[in-house]
Amino acid sequence: MNIAVKTENLSKLYGQTMAVDRLSLEVKNGEFFGFLGPNGAGKTTTIRLLTGIIRPDEGTAIIQENLPAGSIEAKLIAGVMPESRGLYEWMTAREYLSLFAHLYSVHNAIKATDEKLSIVGLSHEKNKRIGAFSRGMKQRLCLARALINKPKILFLDEPTLGLDPKGQEDIQILLKALNADGVTIFYSSHLLNEVAMLCSRIAVIHHGKLVAQGTISQLQEQTGLTNSGLKDIFLKLTGD
Amino acid sequence: MFKYILVNELRALLYTWKSMVWFLITSVIFSFASYLFLTDKELSLLDQSEMLWLLSKVIIGTALMIITVDASSTITGEFEKETAESLFLTPLSLKDFVLGKLLASLSLWIAIFLIAVPYIIVVSAGSHVTAAFIMFVLMLGTMLILGFQMMIFGISFLFRSSKNTLTTSLVILLALVLPATFSSTLKNNPLSHFLSVTNPIDNVFSSLDNVLVDYQTTLTGNLKYVFPVLIFCFAAFAFMLYSTKLFKRSGVVKND
Repeated sequence: MNIAVKTENLSKLYGQTMAVDRLSLEVKNGEFFGFLGPNGAGKTTTIRLLTGIIRPDEGTAIIQENLPAGSIEAKLIAGVMPESRGLYEWMTAREYLSLFAHLYSVHNAIKATDEKLSIVGLSHEKNKRIGAFSRGMKQRLCLARALINKPKILFLDEPTLGLDPKGQEDIQILLKALNADGVTIFYSSHLLNEVAMLCSRIAVIHHGKLVAQGTISQLQEQTGLTNSGLKDIFLKLTGD
Repeated sequence: MFKYILVNELRALLYTWKSMVWFLITSVIFSFASYLFLTDKELSLLDQSEMLWLLSKVIIGTALMIITVDASSTITGEFEKETAESLFLTPLSLKDFVLGKLLASLSLWIAIFLIAVPYIIVVSAGSHVTAAFIMFVLMLGTMLILGFQMMIFGISFLFRSSKNTLTTSLVILLALVLPATFSSTLKNNPLSHFLSVTNPIDNVFSSLDNVLVDYQTTLTGNLKYVFPVLIFCFAAFAFMLYSTKLFKRSGVVKND
């Protein structure tokens, strides 16, 4: 079982716009995979295709070797932090997370809920209404929701968006620890420094097409920018 | 899995005080109607069966209005508040999602019915059909409300907007309620007669009239009125099934 995510010619058309255009990529188990692209490049659409929220017009996507993306089996082993946070503001953090623990049929849901709240640093706020949470706290709660089913693969769409530097660092440390425990992470972000620091391999998409993928040194080679950072590589790959 | 959606929905009704507002409105309307029936000079002269029949119209009409408004945002609220995506990322099936929402919405009708029971008992004091009448209000009301809920859920999956769903549902409700208020003379016209025998709301009131005036308190005695209501429920179910298929095809998130 080496392949965590594999897409072949994955395509999604929105009206006249090709949001994802014959995307073929492979993520191995245990990888910390960075997924970059400018606004509107198709990152969120790709994550939605991989998590079964939308259906592809063409191509295939599989999770963990042979599970079709969006199947119940794939959902059980994946944790997702989508772009739209969508929280029930009238609930407390504990009530909210325990709802999801039940939806995933997590054994001992209450214990798992408290454990995940503690991991993301929300233990003291567990009985507080979500409506009273700051943006950063909501972000942490979404991450806890993504972790509630002890996922083997994590799909994260801008997970540190809206967090202060301390919050960003906490999440980065947590993600590193999860990855060290063998969790595959599919990480989409605009924070290039963060991606360069965390990810072992990176893919860049532009106008829905995969323009490059590999380690940072491989991307440097591909673009001919041998001594440049990820920002220059990204700008070269996505500059029209 | 539907039970978690049901519990969540019931808690939302209580936590957000939405249900309390509905129950208060219901109580005020029922109290006002009952008070008028029993104390107004002219209304109190009405035959008791006619009084009860009018009260049933008030009960079912109020419930239909409240359920229409409430159910219009039950499904669409999940899309508008962007909570649907996180729910469907879990192994929750669409069937469980709809069933949980449907039962929660139906419980609102059951609560409205329970509020109505004391008013029915007071207005029907001395009548020997009270129990049968209450049972028929419960049975026919439940069927009618269930049909409406399924129709509204179907519209919700198509539009994914509470405004559009509410407007469309209210137009349909109005289109069905208006012919039911036609006088019997007006129903002699072939078109009006056809509308009357196919209209589920009209059939519910005709059945209750049958119970109160002709003392037809058995199901078989009311079959010709119950049957169109059942057909309406099946049609609403088929429509909901169709719109959930379209929803599945287009995905939880409609556009980027």
